[in-house]
Amino acid sequence: MKRISKYQRFKMMNPCIQFFKFIYLSIKVLLIVAGGHGGTRKV
Amino acid sequence: MSKILVLGAGIAGHVAASHLRRKLSKEHEVLVVSPNSNYQWIPSNIWVGIGRMKSKQILFPLAPLYKKKNIGYKQAKALTFHPEGDHESEKPYVLVEYVIGEEKGRQEKVTYDYLINATGPKLNFEATEGLNPGSNKAYSVCTYTHAEHAWSALEDIIKQLKSGKKAKILIGTGHAKSTCQGAAFEYILNVEQELRRHKVRDLAEITWISNEYKLGDFGMDGMLLSYGGMTMKSNEMVEMIFEDRGIKWILGAGVNKVEEGIAHYETLDGDYKQETYDFAMLIPAFSGHGFKAYDKNGGDITEKLFKGFMIVDADYTPKPYEEWSVQDWPETYQNPSYKNIFAPGIAFAPPHAISKPRKSKNGTDISPSPPRTGMPSGITAKLVADNIIDSIKQNKEVLRHKGSLGNMGAACIASAGYGLTQGSGVSITTFPIVPDYEKYPDTQGRKLGKTFGEIGLAGHWLKLALHYAFIYKAKMKPFWWLIPE
Repeated sequence: MKRISKYQRFKMMNPCIQFFKFIYLSIKVLLIVAGGHGGTRKV
Repeated sequence: MSKILVLGAGIAGHVAASHLRRKLSKEHEVLVVSPNSNYQWIPSNIWVGIGRMKSKQILFPLAPLYKKKNIGYKQAKALTFHPEGDHESEKPYVLVEYVIGEEKGRQEKVTYDYLINATGPKLNFEATEGLNPGSNKAYSVCTYTHAEHAWSALEDIIKQLKSGKKAKILIGTGHAKSTCQGAAFEYILNVEQELRRHKVRDLAEITWISNEYKLGDFGMDGMLLSYGGMTMKSNEMVEMIFEDRGIKWILGAGVNKVEEGIAHYETLDGDYKQETYDFAMLIPAFSGHGFKAYDKNGGDITEKLFKGFMIVDADYTPKPYEEWSVQDWPETYQNPSYKNIFAPGIAFAPPHAISKPRKSKNGTDISPSPPRTGMPSGITAKLVADNIIDSIKQNKEVLRHKGSLGNMGAACIASAGYGLTQGSGVSITTFPIVPDYEKYPDTQGRKLGKTFGEIGLAGHWLKLALHYAFIYKAKMKPFWWLIPE
């Protein structure tokens, strides 16, 4: 089983790193969700 | 002039009504019928349930907003559907009953040209014996009032823990066919963090109980996702989080009875077991509302409109899991028998589950039902509204806007703890929601890159930002429509 290392935890909770992660996540989520949707059937 | 009747003022109903009103001229009538007086941003119920937000922060009254925006509003509940009218009325109508004030109990035929059924699910607590929010030490966070009760009980548990008494906490699904594992997942992580904040974590045993076959299934058959430069299965990610937080888990469990501090459940192995607790939050099964429909002569035509939830343009042919396809899922949410009726959000009957169905050795179905969260509810409601707007403007049926869950992404920003500097979130996005094994055969039906997970403080900030953004949008403040669903 994978475990969260001390270094990973530091990165997860560091406000400076997470601020940039927040910008990155916001844009990525926006692109995925607002990036469009449509049908799946051939007309 | 057209009249559009919207049943329900949750995420789907409110999104549909607000877009219809913005894009249609005043000669057209938009009318919302809902038994609820408030709009509530359901994803933030989690924070009400741990006492970090007040109900008033996640809701606002509908009547003043609708009056200001020229949207009609009746606080009433739908009783029966009459899509052909009757001998007295040529126009189709829904029979509704007022639920409040001097008019309480009065019934009225509300006619329509277009009907959007956005009545969401019935929280079917009765499906599990003894499961009733606030009784038998078991609670729910499905509504803000349930979440308030949950916090009140949890606060008592925290006081007991502070006095040195140990406690067992059980969180998960309260029925063999429950969905919404995501909400329970958020709640268990938030409760765990709150106990740490109160410095009583070591006195509490926290257990996850779920009808999932593996952790991280979430009713979506799990997923393969990108995480920190690696490719990881969602069950590995959730195992890692639970292990890190010291949370135990029970899987493949169909809770069938709740007594004072005891949850009885059946396992996929066919064993009947029980788990004791001092505080539980168990998500109930969801079901349709049991509406009836009648034709012009009063004949029962319920099977043309409902299959539990409302029938739409899905392929409901029963077929085995191996033959399920994204093409089974609806695209326009239009009822095939009555083309002026639509059911976006949670109100439509899904063609089948997403997760692989499993039965216990005793023949009990124990597997998650398909989840339909806020984001797809909003997207499907908007596309239904857009098709109705086009049809009205072009005076013919137009179904240009389509949105299958098999060709739509969703973001699940799960709070894993509240706090501006100590909070955490698990951000998971999936594309598509329903796996497309033909298009993405090597990555469990989903597109890697668009299906990813992140853990950390940024996730909490994002969830908080979405809370404020979507309440701003729901209040229809300036430029609200620029915020995507």
